[in-house]
Amino acid sequence: MALQDLCNFGDIFQESVGTARNVTATGKRKSCSYATGVALSNSTSLFHFYIPEVGYLDESPIQFGQISTMQSSSGIPSPETLPIPFSLPERIPFTSSQAVPLPFPMAHGTTTLAFMFQGGVLAAADTRSSCSGLVACPASQKILPIHSHLVGTTSGTSADCALWKRILSRELRLYQLRYGRRLSTRGAAKLLSHMLHPFKGTELCVAATLCGWDGGEPDDECRDHGGSETDHGESRETTKAHLEKTAGAPGEKVSVSKTQSSSFTKQQCSRRKISFSGPSLFYVCSDGTRLEGSLFSVGSGSPYAYSILDQGVRWGLTVEEATSIAREAVYRATHRDAYSGNFVDVYHVTSKGWTRRTREDLKEEYYREKERRRLERERRGTALSG
Amino acid sequence: MALFEVSGFKPYSEVRAQILPFGQTRLVDRPNHYTFNTKTQEFAVPLGEDPSGFLKSCNHDGGVCIDLNHGTTTLAFKFRHGVIVAVDSRASAGNYLASKDANKVIEINSYLLGTMSGSAADCQHWERLLAKECRLYRLRNGHRISVAAASKLLSNMMLGYRGMGLSMGSMICGWDKQGPGLYYVDDNGTRFSGHMFSTGCGNSYAYGVVDSGYREDMTVEEAYELGRRGITHATHRDAYSGGVVNMYHMREDGWIKVCKDDVSELIHRYKEGMF
Repeated sequence: MALQDLCNFGDIFQESVGTARNVTATGKRKSCSYATGVALSNSTSLFHFYIPEVGYLDESPIQFGQISTMQSSSGIPSPETLPIPFSLPERIPFTSSQAVPLPFPMAHGTTTLAFMFQGGVLAAADTRSSCSGLVACPASQKILPIHSHLVGTTSGTSADCALWKRILSRELRLYQLRYGRRLSTRGAAKLLSHMLHPFKGTELCVAATLCGWDGGEPDDECRDHGGSETDHGESRETTKAHLEKTAGAPGEKVSVSKTQSSSFTKQQCSRRKISFSGPSLFYVCSDGTRLEGSLFSVGSGSPYAYSILDQGVRWGLTVEEATSIAREAVYRATHRDAYSGNFVDVYHVTSKGWTRRTREDLKEEYYREKERRRLERERRGTALSG
Repeated sequence: MALFEVSGFKPYSEVRAQILPFGQTRLVDRPNHYTFNTKTQEFAVPLGEDPSGFLKSCNHDGGVCIDLNHGTTTLAFKFRHGVIVAVDSRASAGNYLASKDANKVIEINSYLLGTMSGSAADCQHWERLLAKECRLYRLRNGHRISVAAASKLLSNMMLGYRGMGLSMGSMICGWDKQGPGLYYVDDNGTRFSGHMFSTGCGNSYAYGVVDSGYREDMTVEEAYELGRRGITHATHRDAYSGGVVNMYHMREDGWIKVCKDDVSELIHRYKEGMF
């Protein structure tokens, strides 16, 4: 790969893979399992620098490939290796990289919003990807489905968001396969937040809202007490099987496990009564923020959207009303904010999963509104004069 | 003059007098009293002082932090029946709330209003100076100054001190022979005419509300409600805006003060039935 050759990545990587293996063996396994696990299997991956050692936060990952072989090969910056850089500045501040500086202090050039109401969760976003003044893509996707009942809006660096959403989907799928149920939105938010934590202080920029519907799964028998016999039978069998496995000698313990299972399910019932089913909305940011709420808007266009949403959003909205408020809010934000525009996407998450509205061109909306106002003015004019 | 002696101005203007022909240096009784009666077209900054440098040193993280953000929300829009001007009333000094009842609208005269955002001191000083200039214009010329001319005067004052660290975002609203007038004047010397402006760090919140509710042919009551809503929603989301909504209505026969409503009560009224 050209970039690798350019920054002598190949040589550096080989050396550091050796040290990476040592590092992961010692500890801090969990947080870099996604990273180094991938790195070791795929030598062209750049993931190995995610080793969360203490000195790591002093080094900017943007220096990667540009620093001398000695420093990077150690992986852990030891005192001997520090006095190397005569050619490098002492400390490259994270905000001033070689890239084009941000045109204004508030980053996240986008408008995304999400709110909860009685009909589930509604997420809406514009579709403009900008690159310091250039519209890189007028039709990008800022709302990415994570699984059937969870959708995430993205804001910040598009590449970072897309990658981390996919990592999150993978982790949630693994959880589902291991434990037989979907992880709640709260859990997914926590997971994402912890995954992003090692990169705090770097140039990673992800600000996402996770909108999902929790619970309501078929093997959750305590969801409705008037549940069908088949449900109960099913769950009892699964718990029995589980107990049999753990009991060791299945032949003797069958009768015992039967009685045990019924009491066990009762316990599970009482435990599961506390669990939550319904819409859920969380905001997760790469600087460590993780907030639960009922209304969020993220991005440079968010102030414009917030005031529209504050006016109109309430719990008792119908789906049509909620959709129109979301569309209006994104439209107003794109009207005033230079970094938002083009189309609007609206996603609606219910107990049955997420649905997506057809993408709408906001240019049409602008002309439609002008026409509407003109007609109203004429109507008013005739009413007054007539 | 005392100021001349103190600031060492005199020798400089004497030098200028030698360079330029004699007649041109007499600038007495010209509408530039904001240059403190200097004999030449000098700007009244004492030699050797660098205000913008001083202010930069104040904004650094290490030292004293005088955050000259435009911590406010003001909005104004033109419609068929005049100009509505609505402002909040919170004055902040960094993180400290200096006042919850500041007056951010200056009544220049009975048919001209100026709003203030940015540094309170700068706004008050320059707009009062503008008021003085408008009065002098009226006395000299026998007719009222137009809104365009008044905003131009303010804009020129700003241009004279451009780059020296002034901080002012103001809207000059009035009614003159051309009808309702609304101009936005900035500390950079920007001067725009328009139908609707909002300044301050809460301006984006106000824009959303007013954009969606604005129609040129609104009734007066609708316009009042829109102005109130704009400021209220901005104060709800912006930390540096709050207090009360001071609203003025500029009509053909002069301005009237419409209301002074507390934003907390307004937001409760608007958000009734939510969550």
